[in-house]
Amino acid sequence: MTTGALLFAFNNEVTDYVQMAAWSARRIRHHLGIPVAVITNSRNPVLSQQFDQVIHAEPDSGGTRFFEDYDSTVTWHNAGRVDAYALTPWDQTLVLDADYVVASSQLRFVLDSSRDFMCHDRAYDIAKSRYLDELNTFGEHRLPMSWATVMMFRKSNTAAYIFDCMQMIRANWDHYRALYKIQKSTYRNDFALSIALGIVNGGTWRIDSVPWSLASILPEYQLEQISNTDETFKITHRAANGGNLYLGVNGMDFHAMGKKHLGDIIEASV
Amino acid sequence: MDTEKLISHARARFDHAAARRILKEKYEARMLFAYCGGMWRAGPDLLNVLAACPDESAVLLDLYDTPVKIDVRELELAAQQRWQEQMNAWLVEHEINSQKR
Repeated sequence: MTTGALLFAFNNEVTDYVQMAAWSARRIRHHLGIPVAVITNSRNPVLSQQFDQVIHAEPDSGGTRFFEDYDSTVTWHNAGRVDAYALTPWDQTLVLDADYVVASSQLRFVLDSSRDFMCHDRAYDIAKSRYLDELNTFGEHRLPMSWATVMMFRKSNTAAYIFDCMQMIRANWDHYRALYKIQKSTYRNDFALSIALGIVNGGTWRIDSVPWSLASILPEYQLEQISNTDETFKITHRAANGGNLYLGVNGMDFHAMGKKHLGDIIEASV
Repeated sequence: MDTEKLISHARARFDHAAARRILKEKYEARMLFAYCGGMWRAGPDLLNVLAACPDESAVLLDLYDTPVKIDVRELELAAQQRWQEQMNAWLVEHEINSQKR
């Protein structure tokens, strides 16, 4: 049985996702010891040196989205994620967002499990260490959110049903958005995954989740890497009294929601 | 970044409260391990259950409520080692953080 990671990398006006994915691939190989495939529309020949497999596909836009760290609205090429099941070259696949920073071997636990599909069902704001409603529920009904940032699946009926269902939701996004009372019109993988898991599990909302929470660094926080050789990341945020507070994260994976800060770290490391 | 922002950035204080909570999240996740096809969380709860098993083998529910037949002493040893390794690492990081300003 083959096991590997799968990343999606489609550049937009402001973010070089291909460079981000290449940086992430090095970290995945180092910490998890698995090969990495990329799905991209880039034809750069250097990709074959950066990734174990390169799969070419055209970007599928989910619409536009405002990013606080860029202070602008950019195209969001995220809608192709539902094709992960069909496109993956691996029997067991770990799909990661290019902005998910692997800094430990923690995800080995997920790869070692015998489940057919796993994802996070809870995210928390790393600086405030709090579970935010807006991160963990969706729609007016505040249904429980599942995160597509990290997904592990095996080629299996269960995983096939989930991805088929996500495709159906993407194809009929306006209908599902109205049904679940989601205000923003932009298609979002996390919402589609949450709805799909609800449907596949018979509306019980019980899923095989990753048994720890997704550490998230919000776009408004400053994120820096102490040095190229140091695995410590420094997060600076504003305290209630207006002063700045900082903390270090070492040996712990996290989701860098601010693409600009992560892009700056990667740029500095090249 | 303007000068005022740079000064404010340089004067940032270490966030002890957030750092403590992050260490808890980090090391609780590191207590997880796979054994005999089941997924387990090392710690007092599991060790107490194992200590209460009179025979060499037993069937226990893992983290995902799957029944798994286990060798009691093997799992106990694995859980004990994992728990203490990670608690020691937690203590080291906690002490380093305590000295930051």
